[in-house]
Amino acid sequence: MFDVVQILNYLFEIFSSNMMDIPLIAPIVDFLMQIPLLNILVALILWKPFFAVVIMPGLGVLMLYLLYIVWYERKLTARVQWRVGPLEVARPIRGAIQTLADGIRYFFQEAIVHREAHRPYFVQLPLLAFIPVLLPILFIPAGSAVGIYTPYSIQLIVTFLALIPITIVAIGWAANSRFAYIGSVREAFIYFAYEVPFIIAVISMIFLYSSGDAYVAVEKQSMIPGALLNPIAFIVYIIAMLMATSRLPFDIPEADQEIAFGPFVEYSGILFGLVMVLAYEKLYIMTLLFTILFLGGWSGIYCPLLGDLNGPLWLFIKTVVVISILVIVRSIYARYRLDQALRIGWTSMLALSIMALIVGGVVGVWLS
Amino acid sequence: MDEFIEFVRGGPLGPIKKWGTKWSLWPVHLVTACCGAELAHAFACGYDGERIGALNYGIARQTNLIIVEGAITRKMARVLKITWEQMPDPKFVIVMGACGLQGGIFWNGYHLVKPSDVVPVDFYIPGCPPTPEALLRGIRQLQDKIVTGEAKTSATFPEIPLEPGKKPRVLPRSPKKISKAPAVIVNVPRQVEWEFGEKLVEELKTKIEAKSITITGKNRIAVKVEKDAIPKTALKLKEMGFDHVKNVNVIDVPNEDKFIVEYHFSSYSVKELMPVLVNVFADVPRDEPKVKSLATMFPSADYLEREMHDFFGVIFEGNPWTGRKFLLAPDAPEYPLRKDFKLEEEVYTR
Repeated sequence: MFDVVQILNYLFEIFSSNMMDIPLIAPIVDFLMQIPLLNILVALILWKPFFAVVIMPGLGVLMLYLLYIVWYERKLTARVQWRVGPLEVARPIRGAIQTLADGIRYFFQEAIVHREAHRPYFVQLPLLAFIPVLLPILFIPAGSAVGIYTPYSIQLIVTFLALIPITIVAIGWAANSRFAYIGSVREAFIYFAYEVPFIIAVISMIFLYSSGDAYVAVEKQSMIPGALLNPIAFIVYIIAMLMATSRLPFDIPEADQEIAFGPFVEYSGILFGLVMVLAYEKLYIMTLLFTILFLGGWSGIYCPLLGDLNGPLWLFIKTVVVISILVIVRSIYARYRLDQALRIGWTSMLALSIMALIVGGVVGVWLS
Repeated sequence: MDEFIEFVRGGPLGPIKKWGTKWSLWPVHLVTACCGAELAHAFACGYDGERIGALNYGIARQTNLIIVEGAITRKMARVLKITWEQMPDPKFVIVMGACGLQGGIFWNGYHLVKPSDVVPVDFYIPGCPPTPEALLRGIRQLQDKIVTGEAKTSATFPEIPLEPGKKPRVLPRSPKKISKAPAVIVNVPRQVEWEFGEKLVEELKTKIEAKSITITGKNRIAVKVEKDAIPKTALKLKEMGFDHVKNVNVIDVPNEDKFIVEYHFSSYSVKELMPVLVNVFADVPRDEPKVKSLATMFPSADYLEREMHDFFGVIFEGNPWTGRKFLLAPDAPEYPLRKDFKLEEEVYTR
């Protein structure tokens, strides 16, 4: 028979053998570890795979990031347009919880499923879309904390990222409205335009580091960051990232002025809240990969007080800084037409990515 | 609507719902008139409605507030109703501008609908147009309504007590009487220096059998014909180079029991005739208003004839659209521009 105490002890041993070592909170952790039953919870939270996936750089900070980035984008756009932006909801912190208010309002609003929609798919696809968005977090290492270690982590992340547009096209199909249909077709067009240069750019970096392992990639960037080792791949990756997450110069599938949010036009209430953050989450995952490939990943100034937390923290800070710079393009660029974006994707970006492949091969030989 | 306010405030999660809804009123704006410019002003730099959490969105499915800007006609009432039904509950409505309140300059018009007859309205913002401050104040009042649960006006008016025994003063009504002999004369002759015009009149007199041909001003000629002679006259004018109809007009003269139907001809092809406007008009009896249509001869007359049929009920024989509503809403009353058309009376006493 299974003994509950035995199982708990077994779990506790697993968790406590591989815990985050953070000197700053070590006294508190030591105290909590002496309390029975609570210690297993503390050990679980500080267990490295769990910490990487659920706390940092995983779901926990992802939620914080979502609250921050939507507010930051609105505030930045407002400042560019000489406005104030969200303010009165919380004056002392410059309205930073505006996104929370919007989220709560969405949560308690009616979620309409219109008559023409394919009902089961229409309701479940926003939830299903989270699988390819959130699965890459399992394979993204942050310092010593990693969900599942594999030497093919970069390839795996790219694979899951490539699945996301399929769910968006399916959402547009299930919505069965003309705007959603146009948006889905645009999404499919754009998908092919950016995905080929994007994958070639990532392959060039894998050539450069001669490995798909994120640890090897970060180790080889200890002297020179990847952005300087292969600047062409760096440029291609940034443009592909803007295209992939529907940021403004390539805001073609969503285009709220022309086709009213494209595939997401019929969603309301909490379902719209889910699909709206999809692009932001994709941006987060792509920027994590970007940081690992081009900006030295989790390497940074080591603070002895934080111990193992250094890696995740540096990765998160770099990611958020990169995204904060990227959202400026929303305020300063106009939207491309679909044919212009496709031309960019299939001509100049493809040519640049092939050049990046050559550079990656040459520099990779020089590095090794 | 009060049930939405109750939903937002009620339940164990009431405070959270209330807070979230209060700071996230996203308006979808239904612009029918000039108040839209004031709304744009209220959300641009300077006033910036996004400060209080209101983000202009424009897509009905993801918003919770309609701002109706301007008069709601019978046709736009359907649009308003559809927009309201597309939005997820709980939802609120603010009506801005004098036209939305009681019609404004369109007061007592045959085509107007009050927004409160179509959707439940939470707040009215008076003004023509209201200032951006007033609009933001309206949104603020709605926020207060969500918090406190009761609607309060932010404006105060002086109270005048009714004295007992006195008859209430009745405001002047809309004019009902028809003047005995209004002079509607289309062809008033005028002396002008216009040699080409005199030549043209001579030419017209040889070609057209008209009751009278007069010069009514420089470049203006009025030709009075019998009502059955309009197509024949038009054909002659077409041969002379007048190739399109600029305007079709109907004048209602109830005291003489007739309509005056006017066709204005002009030319695009002959250079000398380009500034000339020939007005061919005929009297049509009121009890049998029938004229031969010019739609097949001059395609530009088609649209105008349909419009005149809508407004006056003059039947243009040969126009394929005659008998159906063209510009008016399907439920609009018949022939609203006739002078004996009865408006629904609105009387206010105080």
